[in-house]
Amino acid sequence: MPVQAQQGIASPRTSAGLGGLAPALILIGLFFVVPVLALLLRSVTDPVAGLQNYAALLGDGTYARVFFNTFLVAFVVTIVTVLVAFPVAWMLAIMPPALASLLFSIIILSMWTNLLTRTYAWMVLLQRTGVINRALMSVGIIDQPLPLINNLTGVTIGMVYIMLPFMILPLVGTLRAIDPMTLRAAALCGASPFAAFRRILLPLSLPGIAAGGLMVFVMSLGYFVTPALLGGTSNMMLAEMIAQMIQSLLNWGLGSAAAFILLVVTMALYALQLRLVGNSRATGAA
Amino acid sequence: MLLDYDRLGWLKVALLGFTTLVAAFLLLPMVFIVLLSFGSSRWLAFPPPGWTLKWYEDLFADPSWIEAALTSARIATMTAILAVAIGLLASFGLVRGDFRGREILRGLLLTPMVLPVVVFAIAVYAFFLRLGLGGTTAGFVLAHTVLALPFAIIPIATALEGFDKSIEDAAIVCGASPLQAKLRITLPSIRIGIFSAAIFSFLASWDEVVVAIFMASPTLQTLPVKIWGSLRSDLTPVIAAASSLLVALTLALMIVTALLRRKLQT
Repeated sequence: MPVQAQQGIASPRTSAGLGGLAPALILIGLFFVVPVLALLLRSVTDPVAGLQNYAALLGDGTYARVFFNTFLVAFVVTIVTVLVAFPVAWMLAIMPPALASLLFSIIILSMWTNLLTRTYAWMVLLQRTGVINRALMSVGIIDQPLPLINNLTGVTIGMVYIMLPFMILPLVGTLRAIDPMTLRAAALCGASPFAAFRRILLPLSLPGIAAGGLMVFVMSLGYFVTPALLGGTSNMMLAEMIAQMIQSLLNWGLGSAAAFILLVVTMALYALQLRLVGNSRATGAA
Repeated sequence: MLLDYDRLGWLKVALLGFTTLVAAFLLLPMVFIVLLSFGSSRWLAFPPPGWTLKWYEDLFADPSWIEAALTSARIATMTAILAVAIGLLASFGLVRGDFRGREILRGLLLTPMVLPVVVFAIAVYAFFLRLGLGGTTAGFVLAHTVLALPFAIIPIATALEGFDKSIEDAAIVCGASPLQAKLRITLPSIRIGIFSAAIFSFLASWDEVVVAIFMASPTLQTLPVKIWGSLRSDLTPVIAAASSLLVALTLALMIVTALLRRKLQT
């Protein structure tokens, strides 16, 4: 009997936990899981039952181009973001606190400012008669304005701008977790700065780079706003194509099938990212 | 010596130079937009030929901008309240609960953050059309709460994990009811997490574009929908004026956050 009584005390806590989760589960179940599943169902039933929507998407050159563009942009954006973010995160990790908090404020300001505001700024900056083209022309680097907008160049610049904070901030954490003594030891043993970078700093920050890079890649794949505003009509990306299929063409079958492909790719990469983060945590703890 | 700021030598000069450039790159759009909003050129010439407040006057003279801003504020406030309330309850379950499948539930509740918004947007758009919630405030708030919930759960759950439960238990031993102990001991201790959750879920709704584009009706549009519509027709400097006010709002929010954090931590 005492054992049962103890269980009687322990079980309310457990069920209280579940009870607390109820509102969240109802919200997510009813307004997230059900709509997404209904969309999935629509992709194989609209206009008739079958896989014809997927066949159409995967068999057509126009759509193949959109998929290719999307992966290309996401890939280039990720590489550029990693290359730009690493030195900044490196400095942030070791800079004097006053300087670091100033830099953090700039990053947060950029991150928290309305997405459309930032994209609008780039639309004006990058246009044919924009500041950047004028500056380059007045310095004499170019004598014709460069086409910086309505193409993949514009999308890449705008996307790198948006993704930078998402790469810098987690990388600072990774770099701060590295023990400076390992690098001091390398220097004492005669390693050149370059060798110390290549053989110690870079390998130790690789889990952070991989996790952050994968996150940027996944976010870029499904991004809608910036590609729609800075990109051109001839090189559309996947999210924009999905929106257009639904909003302008009212082709629900094709649109939901494309959305489902995006969902599967995203979730698979996200699962990979979770494993990477988990592994880096495990090695960090070891 | 690569992680020793004072002993980097020439590398420090190079890295600091690069970091300064990136900081300038990050600041550029905001500074540019604010300057542009005071420029007199209708065609956004820069540097502006003269300075004016005309675009702000135009902005405030147009009731549709004011109305869109108020709609956004209303929807974002309701979203933040709902997301924090639901997220708070859920965090207790996720952190304290002891049942099978807890990690799976956590993953499920955080999924709206990783799923591309456009997928959720068309799914919920179709669903709400059928329910008759399309173009309604309730539809907006529900859809935004789904998107905001992860941003509410993460800071609250993190704060709760860092809170020592034995203090709450001590209060119960001393005669407080479990609810009293939670309200008077636990909640004040995790207030920074709750506060961050409120800010983040407000911003998640206030800045949300994609769901809003699908959900909006001619009579109900949020500020991002209004900006989106203007951006697609032309790049009028009125958008620069509206954007500058949004930059000012972000700055104000950052300052309030920093001050409150300092106050709450002491």
